Amino acid sequence: MSIKELLTIILLVAGCFFFLAGTLGVLRFPDLFSRLHALTKADNLGLGFIAAGMALHIASPWAAVKIFAMWLLMLLASSTSCYLIARFEKEKDAPKNRKEEV
Amino acid sequence: MSIVIDTLLALLTIYLALQCLLAPRLPQTVFMFFAFGLALALAWVRLGAVDVAITEAAVASGFLGVLFLDALQDFSLSASPKRRGADKDSATQPEKQGWTSYLPGVALGVGLGLFLLIALEATWKMPEGGGLTAAAEAQLPHSGVEHPVTAVLLNFRAYDTWLELGVILLGLLAIYAVGGVKLYPRHNNVANDPVLQQIMWFFTPVLFLFGAFLLYIGKSGPGGAFQAGVLWGSIGILLHLGGKLVFSVIPRWVGQVLLTVGLSFFLFLGFFFLARGAAVFEYPPAYAGLLILIVETLAAISIATTLTAIFATLNQENKKEVN
Repeated sequence: MSIKELLTIILLVAGCFFFLAGTLGVLRFPDLFSRLHALTKADNLGLGFIAAGMALHIASPWAAVKIFAMWLLMLLASSTSCYLIARFEKEKDAPKNRKEEV
Repeated sequence: MSIVIDTLLALLTIYLALQCLLAPRLPQTVFMFFAFGLALALAWVRLGAVDVAITEAAVASGFLGVLFLDALQDFSLSASPKRRGADKDSATQPEKQGWTSYLPGVALGVGLGLFLLIALEATWKMPEGGGLTAAAEAQLPHSGVEHPVTAVLLNFRAYDTWLELGVILLGLLAIYAVGGVKLYPRHNNVANDPVLQQIMWFFTPVLFLFGAFLLYIGKSGPGGAFQAGVLWGSIGILLHLGGKLVFSVIPRWVGQVLLTVGLSFFLFLGFFFLARGAAVFEYPPAYAGLLILIVETLAAISIATTLTAIFATLNQENKKEVN
């Protein structure tokens, strides 16, 4: 087993670990905001590790650039959707709070 | 090793399909359907059908997912406790209809049963030796493209693809005919969100470029009009979600032309060469590559416009602002 294969395996296992942690967070955390936190942060990190592992495995510069671009787009999309879901949830509760203040 | 992965994938797909049917609540069903679509796309990749996998991921998980989420919001509004009391009077009426209310269900059941029988018979009679694969690959040099799937879809069996474009357009016409069913007013103050605006302007060129890439690469690899059309259509959906209503900006006739240009140009091309003495949808081999690229581009434009129009009609908050 070469150094490259070893590194690939380490990166993939690390990625799987973060995915597992994120999934555990989604299942176990109490409310939507902390679940979103688990889903977007841990999963994106896990995806980054897996992308790095796959780039190393394919070992072609163009493929590496494409995989890196995929990860960046994924980061942008998932953080935006996380923000939008959180905002929607926050504003859904807003009228109720206002009523309590009055 | 690969047989283990394939077996796990097959089990996962069946499990997700069952969960999709058996999930107790509607949101669970929808999210199970997303997962099912992705598992199915992976299964297509494992079977070597990358074209189908891209289409499955883009249409089933992507576009249908958007429509399902939109519908889910409608259902959650109609099932909310505040509305339930108001609907109580109207909810008791359909029960008096008697046996006629079961007719659509029975008809659907009989139709699906017949379809299953036909499918079983077709599988039973599957010709040995790969069917028409050899014949298609022998004619590949005359098709104008290098990718066998594109050659079959756009050249050898162009009639099917033309009808598919018609089916999509027919779906849109049905939605137009039913009209936007505005049950409950919605408040859309998310559209002006600065983050959403930024991401919208960032993703529009990226999606356009990727769609164009898929369209062009369809000549020599997996890709083509439907995949590109869905990606371009997602630009329209993104713009609609961001409050930039595409169909209120462009004139009505431009929208109609864009909706029908793929279908009509495909038809014109098919019968133009029929008039010149060839068969229907038979292209001269010298121009076939160029003609296929033009047809695919126009078809992708039509598909993208149709998908955007479907979303724009069904997404009521935006329609309300147009009126």
